Amino acid sequence: MEISRRTSEIATSVITALLGAIVCYGALENGITWDDSGPRPGYFPFYVGCLIILGSAVIGGQALLRPAESKPPFLDAERARSVVLFFLPIVAFAAISAWLGLYIGMAIYIFYAMYVPGKLKLATSIAAALAVAVINFVVFEKLFMVPLLKGPVLNYFGIY
Amino acid sequence: MSNFGLLLDGFAVALTTHHILIMVAGVLLGLVVGVLPGLGAPNGVSLLLPLTFTMDPVSAIILLTSMYWGALFGGSTTSILFNIPGEPSSVATTFDGYPMARQGQAVRALTLAFSSAGIGALTGVIVITLLSGWVANFALRFGAAEYFAVYFMAFASFIGMSSGSPFKTLVSMMLGFACSAIGADTISGESRLTFEFDALIGGISFLVAVIGLFGLGELIMTMEENLEFHGVKAKLSLREIFKTVAEVPRYWATVLRSALIGCWMGITPGGPTAASFMSYAIGRRFAKNGNRFGKGEPEGIVAPETADHSAGSCALLPMLALGIPGSATAAVMMGGLMIWGLAPGPMLFTTRPDFVWGLIASMYLGNIIAVILVLATVPMFAYILRAPFRIVGPMITVVCMIGAYTVASHTFDIWLALLFGVAGYVFKKLDYPLAPFVLAMVLGDKAEDAFRQAMLTSNGSASIFWSNGLVGTMMALGIILLFLPLISKLLSKAGIGFRRKALPPQSEVGSV
Repeated sequence: MEISRRTSEIATSVITALLGAIVCYGALENGITWDDSGPRPGYFPFYVGCLIILGSAVIGGQALLRPAESKPPFLDAERARSVVLFFLPIVAFAAISAWLGLYIGMAIYIFYAMYVPGKLKLATSIAAALAVAVINFVVFEKLFMVPLLKGPVLNYFGIY
Repeated sequence: MSNFGLLLDGFAVALTTHHILIMVAGVLLGLVVGVLPGLGAPNGVSLLLPLTFTMDPVSAIILLTSMYWGALFGGSTTSILFNIPGEPSSVATTFDGYPMARQGQAVRALTLAFSSAGIGALTGVIVITLLSGWVANFALRFGAAEYFAVYFMAFASFIGMSSGSPFKTLVSMMLGFACSAIGADTISGESRLTFEFDALIGGISFLVAVIGLFGLGELIMTMEENLEFHGVKAKLSLREIFKTVAEVPRYWATVLRSALIGCWMGITPGGPTAASFMSYAIGRRFAKNGNRFGKGEPEGIVAPETADHSAGSCALLPMLALGIPGSATAAVMMGGLMIWGLAPGPMLFTTRPDFVWGLIASMYLGNIIAVILVLATVPMFAYILRAPFRIVGPMITVVCMIGAYTVASHTFDIWLALLFGVAGYVFKKLDYPLAPFVLAMVLGDKAEDAFRQAMLTSNGSASIFWSNGLVGTMMALGIILLFLPLISKLLSKAGIGFRRKALPPQSEVGSV
């Protein structure tokens, strides 16, 4: 699996152009004209969307017209693997946090990251996971009084 | 009494053991807040505000402003060591600070940042000392059109001075504008670009975007390249610090230019974030090694840091003199002033001179204390760099995720940050500049409001942007900045043409 620079440039410009189109569409819903009280709310975003489409079109066009591939590929198989191996656990971290709260999420995530890719000892990994959760709890809940997401498990133990 | 005499009285207020201890405590708290991304200066100041209700107003404002200085310095520390801006205003510091730290010169990068930041802050305070009376009269002339002109200058300088494709800068900036437009429209109250998603009605916070784009995006990038930090001395060598401090005067032109940009952007409410970006862009244009910016160039650290801190201190000037906060943090402090029973505005200078001048004097001392304390805490942060990145990386991930959540206590923001992380990674790989995106997100709302208000006053005629000398000059400067690449191309062509035409007469003169 290898993604060339040219492909990624074109794909990105298509995505940004689509985003621009969504912005224009959203702006049209608000009205892009002028009325008695001045420009309607969609006036400004509509032109922003147009400029996004214009810029994306130029970038995409330049990439299409560019002749042979001179720059290194966007991503090769080995690099893609390390990106996925780093990013997927973060997605899992977010999913667990949304469900069981940030403290449990971060403890599980840190344990995994220390033990599997981090190659630390089992006991060290558990200690690190607990330390991270406890230190963050003290800093945010006690010192700065900023409550983080708790989730049903901590609530069950009377921690809100 | 002259400003100088009043300042001396102010020093008498600030130079007590009690107040100096308060400054030390404030700076230390600020450093913690500044180092943690997601816990920014505005956030930290608002968290501390309730504790000051029982304090004497002079002590209270000294505590809050000292915390602000600490946060500004702390934000630069993480920018340089981890490439995570602790504060939005230190985003520009990551561009050259982080590469320099990765080359094993972390101490040099930090010392450069702190000393230029110190110079910037002191310049700002000197400006406040000299101008505080006069500025009230000047800035009273600012209407919506003038505000828009100031923002326009900041945006134009970015497109005009981009080093890569101007179209990528344009797309990046406009996407930022689009993100800032999401949520309730500030003028009509209608919800925009929300597409019936409840989570989007409150809008997208630029802090979440910054955490994703810069924090997570950079983490993925670092993981992909399998980079490890190495060669960073954990010990802070005094010799290296002094050597670097002695290096600073060499960049006097950059320091002076950046301090001026910072003061201007601080007084006119462009704010420290816009100031540091603008100063960086202009610095790249004018520096001898401008093409090396982004690879660890010293001037690339000096320029944004000086401007950031001079703007940060100058932002307090309009707050005190006019009751218009020049930055988010200044807005929180202004709320504090009113709770303490003081009315911000020109009258404050006559009713409570001890408060105003005590505060100004404390700004001199607070910044000096901040420079010393931040240098003293550097070994602690530099030590973390010795750990392998596969251990540090997940720790930073946790901080980013917490940061995304604490912005507004929304679970949705965590997902948003992940999304911005992927976008930041792709954009960075394809050389889309991220800074214009953040700038547009932070200032987008304000720029749009100013534009629409100006249009309302003029009944839709753009001539309001040329209606007086002040706004006309600023708009003209903005347009020149926007087309700077084109203009310099034309000028060099014209220059060559001129020389060719000029040559024959010279040779004729020579032959005669």
